[in-house]
Amino acid sequence: MIMELDDLKNTWQQTPPNKNSNTDIMEIIQHKSYGPLAALKRAYRKQIVLMLLLPLFLLMVNSQNIQGVLTSILFWCYVAFCIYIIVFAYYNYQIVSKMENMDAMVKTNLEQQVHLLEKRANWEVSTLRLILLFFIVLVEVVPYLQHYRMLDKWHSLPIAVRFGAYALLLLLQYFLNKRIKQRKVGRHLDYLKELLKEMQ
Amino acid sequence: MYAYTNADRQDLFQEMVIQLWKAYPKFKGDAKLSTWMYRVVINTAITGLRKKRDFITSYEPSGLPEHISDDNTARAEEEQLQQLYNAIEQLNEIEKAIVMLYMEDHSYIEMEDILGISDGNLRVKMNRIKEKLRQLTKKY
Repeated sequence: MIMELDDLKNTWQQTPPNKNSNTDIMEIIQHKSYGPLAALKRAYRKQIVLMLLLPLFLLMVNSQNIQGVLTSILFWCYVAFCIYIIVFAYYNYQIVSKMENMDAMVKTNLEQQVHLLEKRANWEVSTLRLILLFFIVLVEVVPYLQHYRMLDKWHSLPIAVRFGAYALLLLLQYFLNKRIKQRKVGRHLDYLKELLKEMQ
Repeated sequence: MYAYTNADRQDLFQEMVIQLWKAYPKFKGDAKLSTWMYRVVINTAITGLRKKRDFITSYEPSGLPEHISDDNTARAEEEQLQQLYNAIEQLNEIEKAIVMLYMEDHSYIEMEDILGISDGNLRVKMNRIKEKLRQLTKKY
């Protein structure tokens, strides 16, 4: 004999609800949320703080030559890079905050999660591309303004070699994008899309 | 249904309470409070607390509701109950949500309001789930 779902329903309704060991709501809400979204938010907060502190740390390390650091193009490029990362982390933080809204209908919530995750993943790919382009421009332009031994050495190479290397980097990045996207959010996205398909 | 061990169940319960607490200020009253609460807890179970379940090889049935029956019939019925729980375990998260709401005796209209799946579609899904469970329980 096989038990049917309707039999289970009867049993379920006769069963007293499971007593959870911790019923102190006030105590529970003091806990940190440990879900993946809360963890992501914590990671972005850390990223923002770290990026704020890094230029200061660089200044502290070079405190004996502050003037030299402040007139260095590389330092200011680094500051610009940190600001960009902070903006990006803040943007991500906002997206994750939106994803934390759990009070919509389950289907609507899933659609929103998929939309936001894809948006975030696309932004990540664009950001990586921009950082790479920024790096290339930096390496090409800085030696005309200030001299750094490494960059001068790089500039002594034939232009075809340099631009070939950049093209290779961009090509590599293009092919890696899909992998990065898949590694970061791919599995979760697939899971959400699968659930959405189930709801059609 | 959504947690495999007692520790997971505790974690999930805690996360649901936190999410309800966080979402409550945004509750506008456009749905019944119970409907709104079900939305939050199901969304939390499905998307807000995804565990690495690929690595989970077994679950502790101790947290499942106990079956009330007298001693004579208990064993056979417990086995059947366990088979059915094992079968439910095989369902996907949406099917589990439908089963859970069905067992909690929600009407299809209420389920539609919680899940966002149309009444007609829900009836079709419910029949498919029952058939799927029948097939799965035969396997165990």
